[in-house]
Amino acid sequence: MTTKSKIYDVCVIGTGAGGGVMIDQLTAAGMDVVALERGPLLSLAEFNEDELKTVIRRQVFARDKVDTYRQDEHSPTEKGNIAEITHCVGGSITHWGAWAWRFRPDDFHVLSKEGPVAGASLADWPISYEDLEPYYYRAELDFGASGDSGGNPFGAPRKQPYPNPPHPWRPSSHRFARGARKMGYTPFALPVAINSQVYGNRPACMYGGACRSNGCPINAKASTLSVSLPRALATGRLDLRANAAVYELPLDNSGRLLGARYLDEDGNRHEVKARQVVLAAGAMGTTQLMLLSKSALFPDGLANGSGLVGHNYSYHHYPGVAAVFEDDLRAYTGYEAHAAVDDLHPSDSSRGFIRGGVIAETNALSNQPIAFATGLHQFTGHARWGAALKQRLREFPRTMAFAGICEELPMDSNRVDLDPEVTDTFGLPVPRVTKKNHPNDAVMHQWFCNKLSELAHAAGASQIYQIRTPGAFVDKNNSLKSNPHNHGTCRMGDNPSASVVDKWCRSHEVSNLWVTDASVFPTAGGYNPTLTILANSYRVADYFIEQARSLSL
Amino acid sequence: MNSMLSRRGFLRLGTAFGTGLVLSANSPRPLAAAAAAASGAPEIFSAGQWATIEAMTSCIIPTDHEPGALEANCVNFIDKALAREDAALLPTYRAGITAFIEESQAHFGKPFAQLRVDNRNRLLSALEQGDTLSWPQNLAATPQLFLHTVIVHTLIGFLADPGYGGNRGYAGWQVVGYPGTEHHMGGYSKEQVEGTAPVIPMWKTDRSG
Repeated sequence: MTTKSKIYDVCVIGTGAGGGVMIDQLTAAGMDVVALERGPLLSLAEFNEDELKTVIRRQVFARDKVDTYRQDEHSPTEKGNIAEITHCVGGSITHWGAWAWRFRPDDFHVLSKEGPVAGASLADWPISYEDLEPYYYRAELDFGASGDSGGNPFGAPRKQPYPNPPHPWRPSSHRFARGARKMGYTPFALPVAINSQVYGNRPACMYGGACRSNGCPINAKASTLSVSLPRALATGRLDLRANAAVYELPLDNSGRLLGARYLDEDGNRHEVKARQVVLAAGAMGTTQLMLLSKSALFPDGLANGSGLVGHNYSYHHYPGVAAVFEDDLRAYTGYEAHAAVDDLHPSDSSRGFIRGGVIAETNALSNQPIAFATGLHQFTGHARWGAALKQRLREFPRTMAFAGICEELPMDSNRVDLDPEVTDTFGLPVPRVTKKNHPNDAVMHQWFCNKLSELAHAAGASQIYQIRTPGAFVDKNNSLKSNPHNHGTCRMGDNPSASVVDKWCRSHEVSNLWVTDASVFPTAGGYNPTLTILANSYRVADYFIEQARSLSL
Repeated sequence: MNSMLSRRGFLRLGTAFGTGLVLSANSPRPLAAAAAAASGAPEIFSAGQWATIEAMTSCIIPTDHEPGALEANCVNFIDKALAREDAALLPTYRAGITAFIEESQAHFGKPFAQLRVDNRNRLLSALEQGDTLSWPQNLAATPQLFLHTVIVHTLIGFLADPGYGGNRGYAGWQVVGYPGTEHHMGGYSKEQVEGTAPVIPMWKTDRSG
């Protein structure tokens, strides 16, 4: 094992939305940071619209990732590259769809608002929307969010407009808006962290289409790879180490972290020393590292006195319908989703479920044809081959999707732990997901699918199909297997026996351990999580820097 | 319609593709791969296997007033993929093709490639329903798995970048109305996004070849 004598101020593990912001803010404040990223550093040349390589074979973003899934203790375990997350410098935000939502104020107080729900582990966040509001704006400024300020009557209140104006709409966006208006809803430009004009030394979007699940070849789509890490590297205070697979966070005798131990590409062991450790490896990766770091002080995993590390794991579910129209919708241009409706978001138990979500106009399962064709093939039972299949394929430019991002209820039994049998290429136990949907999710999912069908009908669709891709829809027999939105495995809260980190995302038990990915979300919200991860990290960074300056760390 | 059957088939297929495909490293495809894909010379399939798979692909995406899988050379895509990224699917193909050729003989007394179109479709339906005469009972490549593997491979071969050996002359993209990987051709203008200006497919502007 190689150990260099240098002691860094901070070791950040993971370079995605949560880690990237911390790296940026802490280096800007003058701290020496070592960043450990499990995946490789990709060049923009690898973001080359090769759908087969990038999306279908997943050879770019997490090529050696292995994880396992089972619905419950009695179900068979499936092994594969299951979770749709990445291992690369920049993390999963590198290939995100760039939907840049602020959570609504009620998303932070789900337990208070709804009361206890049987089978669910609802909780309030220890912070409110007001605490996060300035940081949402800072994230929107840094990541160049574009949007329709004031366009969403059901959205979080804003104090300032979006830094960039909305993008042009596709014919599919107008179809969606037309249907929405007929239903009495208020369509608006979906906020995205994609440049609608030259901004932040990054160019405007070229609307090439291959956006979600792809990296942006020109950095018009904001990510920590395009925004935070270049800025941090320019300070000269960032030691960025790619292909560094952390396997242990060692403690000293007083119970403080010493730094991190990792394996390089060739399996050689290294150790870095740091005064503070920020864990931002994603809800699965962060859990894996904490559970791997067992010690006499923490026999059940690092900072896991509560026993909650890995528990209350939640996703979003995506109700959706594909709709075919008579003319070219141009949904293969632009980015994933240009228009949205939020009228269905506010919780209303008279609908037969609590919580809700946002709905949007999206491309035909993908802006690119292979995912369209193979996805289509999975959710329409007919047209398996022959002339009927070919006719379906020809509907690509005339097909769009109406889709929701809906809040899943957290459950204590939904969890990430270490697989007892399966190991990765380094021989480390891989994260195992044990997860089942709450009955509320299935009712909400079908209700939203019905509404989306009505909306597609109102928009003038000639054919409408409910999207029932295996593992991606929820009903009483089917649970979500995986999701790019992973939350909740290290809940933040004020009570150390009911949460893993405090309101500043600092461990209740290990004073120099911080967690800044979506692990800390007590509940999932009914929006894509990334802007909230970014905003929360800016908030934590401010506190961290303040504590460092007052010598309180 | 037996859609559950189909979904189970895809679940298995997803696993096969998902685990087999992560073997290759994230490096540029070797020039040899592109050259092999372009040459069209068989690397994996024997002449008989090639003819069988080619006939299956042309059944899956038939030729009409526009090109189908035959013209797009989907069989070449599959052959090249099995030699490289999809090598994990080789056992499914090897066992499946042998069983499939037997099955065609058992039903119609002829190799699949020599069957009329209606009989080809009957045989594919028999595979999908598991209504087989000679398919070995304990074969890991069940009739459904084999059929779905070839269907998904045909779709991918039809629609992947031509550099992988299928989608010849952009035939697949033309049929589905996908204008190509336009980001690297300059992207789309505001008017093209909005639908007020025509989209020019990349094969009409690509000067690289």
